Amino acid sequence: MTGRGDRAVNYVILASFSLIALYPVAGIVLAAFQPPGSAAGGFSLPSELHLANFAEAWTQGHFASYLRSSLIVAVSVVFVSTLVSIMSGYAFGTMTFAGNKVLFYLFLLGLMVPLEGLVIPLYFDLRALSLTDTYWALILPQIGLSVAFGTFWMRAFFLATPRSLIEAAAIDGARRWSILWRVLVPFARPAVLTMMVLIFMWTWNEFLLALVMVSSESLRTAPLGLAFFQGQHVSDVRLLAAGAVIVALPVVVVYIFLQRHFIRGMISGSVVG
Amino acid sequence: MATVRFEGAGKRFGGVDALVDLHLDIEDGELAVLVGPSGSGKTTALRLLAGLESITSGHVWIGDKQVDALPPRDRDIAMVFQDYALYPQMTVYKNLAFGLRMRKVAPGDIDGQVLTAAKTLGLEDLLERRPRELSGGQRQRVALGRALVRQPQVFLMDEPLSNLDAKLRTQTRVEIARIQREFGITTVYVTHDQIEAMTLGRRVAVMRDGRLQQFDSPKGLYDRPANLFVASFIGSPAMNITEGSLEHAGDGLAIAFGDHRLAVGRPESRPDDGIGAYAGRKVLLGIRPEAMADASLALGTPEDRRMTVRVELREDVGSDVYAYFEGGPPVSNPGLAESPTGDDDEAGGNRRRTFVARLSPQSKAREGDAIQIAINDRALFFFDPDTGVRIG
Repeated sequence: MTGRGDRAVNYVILASFSLIALYPVAGIVLAAFQPPGSAAGGFSLPSELHLANFAEAWTQGHFASYLRSSLIVAVSVVFVSTLVSIMSGYAFGTMTFAGNKVLFYLFLLGLMVPLEGLVIPLYFDLRALSLTDTYWALILPQIGLSVAFGTFWMRAFFLATPRSLIEAAAIDGARRWSILWRVLVPFARPAVLTMMVLIFMWTWNEFLLALVMVSSESLRTAPLGLAFFQGQHVSDVRLLAAGAVIVALPVVVVYIFLQRHFIRGMISGSVVG
Repeated sequence: MATVRFEGAGKRFGGVDALVDLHLDIEDGELAVLVGPSGSGKTTALRLLAGLESITSGHVWIGDKQVDALPPRDRDIAMVFQDYALYPQMTVYKNLAFGLRMRKVAPGDIDGQVLTAAKTLGLEDLLERRPRELSGGQRQRVALGRALVRQPQVFLMDEPLSNLDAKLRTQTRVEIARIQREFGITTVYVTHDQIEAMTLGRRVAVMRDGRLQQFDSPKGLYDRPANLFVASFIGSPAMNITEGSLEHAGDGLAIAFGDHRLAVGRPESRPDDGIGAYAGRKVLLGIRPEAMADASLALGTPEDRRMTVRVELREDVGSDVYAYFEGGPPVSNPGLAESPTGDDDEAGGNRRRTFVARLSPQSKAREGDAIQIAINDRALFFFDPDTGVRIG
């Protein structure tokens, strides 16, 4: 019997997990609004909303430049990998061609090998191409990583798409290109948007690659910039917190903006998976 | 408008033959039905014709064009899918227009053609809706409309009614027959339901295990089934099948089965039909439930065309009375159709053990009664026990 008691237990469990997840986040956000001189690091409500912390962090930490770099990298990665993933997922999900199994496992390998294992050889490869310390060194590897995931994701979606939909379009006179872009992609919109949010999030938060590949300050991405900022302001928790909020905000905004589709995509994804 | 011709068409999936050496000539404007249980190859044949599967052997013709190697879009066909396969993100209008747009029909003409098709199917008020906002029956009509709007050479229909409830199914069946007749478009219709096949098809191809069993008019299939499979697949309730032996009786023949013995009538034993060669041998005997009557209501049936039975179960459905009784020994011949035909289970459930007779509602036969059953002339079917082929 799923009565009131069961529901209450569910809510208690969910609420306590939410609390565990939200507590540190709330702490950072609250700290970011503390006026200067107040006790740092505690979980106390600020006496006033001190917005000046953000302005200070913004100018002192050069976050304008960092965010700009992150935006350039993230948008290029999301755009290119989405395009490529849709097409490769379509191929793997709906067509049979020579070597499709082997190729697909190759893609899976890209999903399974961690970046930490690749980053050193990658550095030498890119240096040989004189691409280190450019945006390319951040964009190209992350496209590669994202396409592995994106192909896997879109393939699962296209595999689960009713075959008759593709066949109906083929009989209606559509060629493969039109079937993909006119019939399947509109149908796959929640899945595509979800994939875009995930790739955007991962790219935005990527730290190691940026740390290894770029040395110029003008190319630093937001997480890397935040790390440098932290080095300079170890003791000033409210400025650090403000910087962290600035860096995290774009992902939160994107997430909220696409939340409806995101959830739907996750649900359909879970059925597919 | 075109003829359709399968010329020794075959399809192998892995090591399995899904369709073997299919020869079929469908006439211009004809509605031909492919019917059979699952795995019989009927859908494979349709998909070969559509170009959705590549052909392994033989040829397929549409009109005077051999289409084996043509992609579906170049075959000038339209197909209605079992799950309708409507484009979920498009409105009904766009669903109907999609095929025309893909074929680069002038935008001005598209509108006219879509509206005409919509009118034929009563979809005018639904044009701005999306598929998920439609009922099952409406989706079905959109799927039909999408096929109709292009005025193709051939309509292909893959179990288009199987997702509808019983009442809607009958309505839509009539609708399909009307549209097909009105436009005179050659149609190949696949179903597992023999009632659907018999009511819709001008000719019906009965399939089994990838092989064509018989291609004939519904009446032809019913009156002259080529073999045991067709005989037991067509008809509802299914034909009673038992084993018996043919014996000489006077200058004619008689069939003995179970406790019964019936004279083999003249129409069943024409001198040229080869049944005489089976005299003194075991054969399989088939009697349709509707060929039997309560003898008390069928006066004048000669004694040697009656059998006395004890009614085990009586089912009164108003228009008919179904009487179950011990007929002859059960038969498990590989040639028999597996399950009771179609979706209606009304009387097929235990036909292996028992005979069923469809009697007039005036029959007073009660459970436990011993009654006489009269067998109509021309009502006995004989099959070779080894090959399943009909004798005579």
